[in-house]
Amino acid sequence: MHIPDGILPAAVCFGGYATTGAITWYSLRKINQKDDPREGIPKASLLTAAFFVASWIHIPIPPTSVHLVLNGLLGVVLGYYAFPAILIGLFFQAVMFQHGGLTTLGVNATMMGMPALLAYYLFRLRNVLGRKGDRLGRKDDRLGDRKDRPYQALTGIFGFLAGAGGLGIAALIAVALLITTIPTHLDAEAERASIYALTLAHVPLMVIEGAFTALVVLFLQRVSPELLGD
Amino acid sequence: MKLELDEHGHLDSLLHQWEPKYKLVGLMGLILAFSFVQDPRLLPAMLAITLALYALSRLPLSFLIARLRYPGFFLLIVAILLPFLSGSTVLLRVGPLALRQEGCLDLLLIVSKFVSILTLSLILFGTAPFLDIIKAMRSLGLPLVLADMTLLTYRYIYEIGDDLERMKTAMGLRGFHARYLGGRVLRVLASLAGSVLVRSYERSERVYKAMVLRGYGQPTRPSEEPRSRFRDLAWLFAFLLLAAGFIAAEIVLRQGQG
Repeated sequence: MHIPDGILPAAVCFGGYATTGAITWYSLRKINQKDDPREGIPKASLLTAAFFVASWIHIPIPPTSVHLVLNGLLGVVLGYYAFPAILIGLFFQAVMFQHGGLTTLGVNATMMGMPALLAYYLFRLRNVLGRKGDRLGRKDDRLGDRKDRPYQALTGIFGFLAGAGGLGIAALIAVALLITTIPTHLDAEAERASIYALTLAHVPLMVIEGAFTALVVLFLQRVSPELLGD
Repeated sequence: MKLELDEHGHLDSLLHQWEPKYKLVGLMGLILAFSFVQDPRLLPAMLAITLALYALSRLPLSFLIARLRYPGFFLLIVAILLPFLSGSTVLLRVGPLALRQEGCLDLLLIVSKFVSILTLSLILFGTAPFLDIIKAMRSLGLPLVLADMTLLTYRYIYEIGDDLERMKTAMGLRGFHARYLGGRVLRVLASLAGSVLVRSYERSERVYKAMVLRGYGQPTRPSEEPRSRFRDLAWLFAFLLLAAGFIAAEIVLRQGQG
């Protein structure tokens, strides 16, 4: 879903860099507000590399297989580091695998990174909705204890929403951008129809991405809850 | 999956000798000017300059071909679709299919720009060690957090990739094969992804402690910037002039059409 070089008009590429600059600035400002901003850098970097690698895992959909985008999950785990992480991940995709491109780096980063930040905010709602008593008592409870179940379900649901939403918004931006800005001579009606059709085609992928994100989030909650900021 | 970025960074050519800071600005300027081109009449000049620069960089042709193979798949789809879908002037009709002039021109434009920009970015990252390019970006104002994250990510991508391969082999040896999409398969793959994340997270804590022991986060002596030579600046000037030339030609040609 990365937009390659040579397709988008220069103005859109510049626009992409402008929004990416603004969101990076905002993320870095939030990161620098921490006591020791450098402390989080190795964690964020190795997780960036890990996400890069985890996106090589292929999900079988016979007769083919798809790889996941994982931008929603990235937002959930990395928080404000998610946008720089995506920017760096896409940079490596572009220069190592020629997947995406340097001129479209800004556009692609906005397309993938903005939904990741939204997924982060969405996932944080879990803590607002989860009852405080549940969360305090959770650490003493055995896994699978009844008291723990509503919180687990909440984690699963918000994990699903973050994963599916992250991909869904990114797909919508990608499709809209490609169809409205490619210098082709399609008429407006055909453009609109293809935007709807291509976005709808992503719904099954959103479901898979959401389910996968929910499962990973539940795994992390069981094994290493600090990765979810718990 | 080893795809070193700077495997040819040690070669010696005029482009290798160019100071990375100026090379970054010069080549990015030209890349952006190429992305501005919409008039097919500028394409021959664009391709000729790209080829000449690639020859000048002394990078092997096999390097370019290997790197073009992967995105070639995308180009193939565009090549099949565009000439038949886009435009109204029909050049050739074969049964229900009509080859359209505008579609062919769009295709030519997209493919030429794509190949030129990709080749220039290969020249940019293939003619200097990666560390030097990050240093150049840093001296041009890349924030510290981004520079550190980029280098650390680059350092660990392959190691974590090897981790994943090992875990996949172990899963295969224990009888797991993802052949169909089902709840169990998805759960196992999610645990695999989760394990990659947890392992990396735990490793990052050890890496951070090791880095602090080696003085990470302490103020460092500013490293001496290499003195700019006249030749570096002259190259930069030439590239920016070329980029400006393309943009001006595009504007003139567009006005001529309008």
